[in-house]
Amino acid sequence: MFSFVVRRILHMLLVLVGISAMVFLIFFATPGADPAARIAGRNATPDTVAAVRKEFGLDKPLPVQYVLMMDHLLVTRDLTSFVNRGEKIVPEIEEAAPVTLSLVLGAAVIWVVFGVLVGVIAAAFKDTVIDRGLMVAGLIGVSIPVFWLGEVVNLLTQSRLHDTFLFSWVPALGYVPLRANPLGWFAALVLPWITLAVLYIGIYGRVLRANLIEALNEDYIRTARAKGLSDWQVLTRHALRCSLISFVTMFGLDFGALVGGGALLTEVVFGLQGVGALTYRALEDLDLPMIMATVIYASFFVVVSNASVDILYAAIDPRVRER
Amino acid sequence: MSGEAKASILEVRDLTVSFRTERGLVRAVDGVSLTLNEREILSVVGESGSGKTLTVLSVMGLVHSPNAIVEGSIRFRGRELIGLPDREMRRIRGGAIAMIFQNPMTALTPVYTIGHQIAEQVRAHRRFSRRAAWAHAVALLASVGIPNPSGAAHRFPHELSGGMRQRGVIAMALSCDPALLLADEPTTALDVTVQAQILDLIRKLRSEFGSSVILITHNMGVVAEIADRVAVMYAGRIVERAETRALFREPRHPYTLGLLGSIPPLEGERPRRLPAIPGVPPSPFAIPAGCPFAPRCRWSQAACAARPPLLAEEGHETACILSPEARAAARSELLAAPVGAT
Amino acid sequence: MSGQANGSLLETITLTKRYRVGNHLFSRHNKVVHAVERVSLAVQEGETLGLVGESGCGKSTLGRCLIRLYEVSDGRIFFEGTDITFLGPRALGPHRERMQMVFQDPAASLNPRRRVGELLAEPLIVHRRGTRAEIRARVRELLREVGLRPEHDERFPHEFSGGQQQRIGIARALALAPRLIVADEPVSALDASVQAQIVNLFLDLQERLGLTYIFIAHDLSVVRQVSTRVAVMYLGAIVEIGPTDAVLKAPSHPYTQALISAVPVPDPAAPNRRRIILEGDVPSPIDPPSGCPFHPRCSFATDHCRSERPALAPQGRGWDVACHYPLGTT
Repeated sequence: MFSFVVRRILHMLLVLVGISAMVFLIFFATPGADPAARIAGRNATPDTVAAVRKEFGLDKPLPVQYVLMMDHLLVTRDLTSFVNRGEKIVPEIEEAAPVTLSLVLGAAVIWVVFGVLVGVIAAAFKDTVIDRGLMVAGLIGVSIPVFWLGEVVNLLTQSRLHDTFLFSWVPALGYVPLRANPLGWFAALVLPWITLAVLYIGIYGRVLRANLIEALNEDYIRTARAKGLSDWQVLTRHALRCSLISFVTMFGLDFGALVGGGALLTEVVFGLQGVGALTYRALEDLDLPMIMATVIYASFFVVVSNASVDILYAAIDPRVRER
Repeated sequence: MSGEAKASILEVRDLTVSFRTERGLVRAVDGVSLTLNEREILSVVGESGSGKTLTVLSVMGLVHSPNAIVEGSIRFRGRELIGLPDREMRRIRGGAIAMIFQNPMTALTPVYTIGHQIAEQVRAHRRFSRRAAWAHAVALLASVGIPNPSGAAHRFPHELSGGMRQRGVIAMALSCDPALLLADEPTTALDVTVQAQILDLIRKLRSEFGSSVILITHNMGVVAEIADRVAVMYAGRIVERAETRALFREPRHPYTLGLLGSIPPLEGERPRRLPAIPGVPPSPFAIPAGCPFAPRCRWSQAACAARPPLLAEEGHETACILSPEARAAARSELLAAPVGAT
Repeated sequence: MSGQANGSLLETITLTKRYRVGNHLFSRHNKVVHAVERVSLAVQEGETLGLVGESGCGKSTLGRCLIRLYEVSDGRIFFEGTDITFLGPRALGPHRERMQMVFQDPAASLNPRRRVGELLAEPLIVHRRGTRAEIRARVRELLREVGLRPEHDERFPHEFSGGQQQRIGIARALALAPRLIVADEPVSALDASVQAQIVNLFLDLQERLGLTYIFIAHDLSVVRQVSTRVAVMYLGAIVEIGPTDAVLKAPSHPYTQALISAVPVPDPAAPNRRRIILEGDVPSPIDPPSGCPFHPRCSFATDHCRSERPALAPQGRGWDVACHYPLGTT
């Protein structure tokens, strides 16, 4: 198992280096446009453009440019955004990241727990009212656009029903740092968590239910029943663990994408200044260094998520460990 | 060897398993009765669609489909099993009655070690601590001849070969000292040299553990080697039943004759063509009204339109109306020499 | 000893097939499966060579290498006197027509979405064996040949029983009028009574059409019924090869002897022949033992057996065995 983990981490590092190189090439080596002009922004003076050229070493060969860029991004961390008047990019991302992470982690916990519950209960009560009801509810959850749900939640909790005992505890829209005020952090995030999770509970519940029902037809389930285990034990101990592969795969993809900035809509609706919101702003302003930084940051999380998922597979299913 | 001398451990009377389908009610097991005595190995022989697996699954209460109707009586040590609430049945399942299935490659849960799975069964039935259950699992693996049992207990199923897996499955089935072991084609998927080892193990079960065994197989060689008595099933019914030697010395039912005749002999004269039974076993939807074998039987007559009862002559039961003379003629026609002649 | 010299229909010279398994970062470190090790055999026209052995012995792999379904790692294959080992697909085409394969699982080897008539017509269409009408007629003839009703060519495979599906598989192999058929466990997946029917069919077809068979099976009784010669395989090598009845009656190789004695006899009155119970499992071809591959399980193994691998050589009674101390000799 240990060697498996080590191999995966090495693999992951290789991929990260590869991605950073590819992102760099896309931004700096696409023929036809002058990266200096793009970085400097739409309304830059020739002086600014020259300064950009010097700072990023754009007259030097590509590999040197790459190293310089990575140096600015990761080592000296003084990558600046010319569009936004010299604003330092890396600190901005560092500030936005915890917000996104808090949002996505919390939502993930909720959707995993409830997704498993929904899947298991639906499979246990297959074809009964409970099963059908859960699947319909899940389908509704999948179909609701997250921004609509978020706005409705805000409508109810911030204005209409804010004064009732139900929602008086809901703070104003925005993020409360965890270290400053844990309770406030929690209160500010509960509703965004639930809103984001609703979408995923539906999908994960359905997928798990389908995999469980398939697993229940396997020979080893028959053996488990023949041992005298109850239906519930068979379902949760034997069928569940063998059905988690799809679930975990999807989770890796979704989690990575969300943390990388995919929770954009939720962040905007709830006034959370996360990486999604940041990327959105950067796209509006065509702030190239910021976009590049957020792209690398996002891909970092996707790659880490996938590597973690691989490691999780190996923990769940020992047959994978040989690879 | 009369039935009274040995105590009977299992008594099945008129077991019928039907399924509700779109095309109507289908009888997969039709009025099967059998008795198993202590320390006895009964072999149930049949091909696909004969109902042999369902019979045995009914004893375990594992006929799960909501469309299944199980009727009749199954008495295990005097206690009626049909209709028993699942909670009670679970105590027996894996405890006093254990079952092993055909394909050892897929019989074990892939994500848990063998030791874990055996210990799980032990703890489901006895109040063992984790450590005690694990020790018991290792001891069982040793008793079924697995080398390095304590190491093997930590292995996952995919790390063991087919033969070892099947031994592991047998060890697991034996973990709570079952009085009755049901084995559904336990050696069919194994190599012949491994099969020999497993059959030896099953024989040991009877002598050392004192278990009774119902062994389902379609291999008459296995039957001859290991069974005390044989029941031949066709289209959900028992068509012949006798002590093994009697069945091989004097097979009576044309289906049994056909089965024995279609085995290519390993020694002696090689027949130019094997006397094969023409046609295929009937689908459960289309079982003939009278004798189910009549459409494929060379000696079928008008009287076969009525279902022949299972009648005993000197302990050898047959569901066929052929007279003893006609049977003898059939035997010599189908089998070059009587099986069993040296 | 090339095919041209003695007229064998099929001949192999030190045929070897190895492949790597595993996902190591450096493929050198991946394990090697020695599936077939230096197999030399010759099959004469009209005979049936039975290939027996247990899991991992390489018989299926050998069968597939013979008809170039797999690429060989080393050695040569001669078919009708021509070296077909490295021929490209186009050059191989005409040879392929004359050697066909029947597979083990009839349900899995027939495309469930095609009608039976289409499945049988396909090889004829690909090899341009006549007009559409002629092909249709040939398809019906093939169905009749294997004991099925020609009118059923409009049906789908799942509408047939297991035995009938296998007949369709055989019909497909016969479509191009081959000279050689490699049958890979053709009856193992069938019920006992149906096995006998299909075995009979094989024998009938051989008589009627003058076919040559390589019959791969793990069931010794079935192999005995159809084969004129039998080759026993163990861990990728042939350990004994000779006339079927002679070998089965008085085997020279300890493995053959153990294999025969392990087969349960359908006769309760027979004295318990099973004296020889081999210890342990059938070994894996990934890490074959040194010297003779059978020595870890052989009760007669000596140091010589452990160090030197015996070659397949005549044992003096009319057939070949790969053993330093063949049974029945001093």
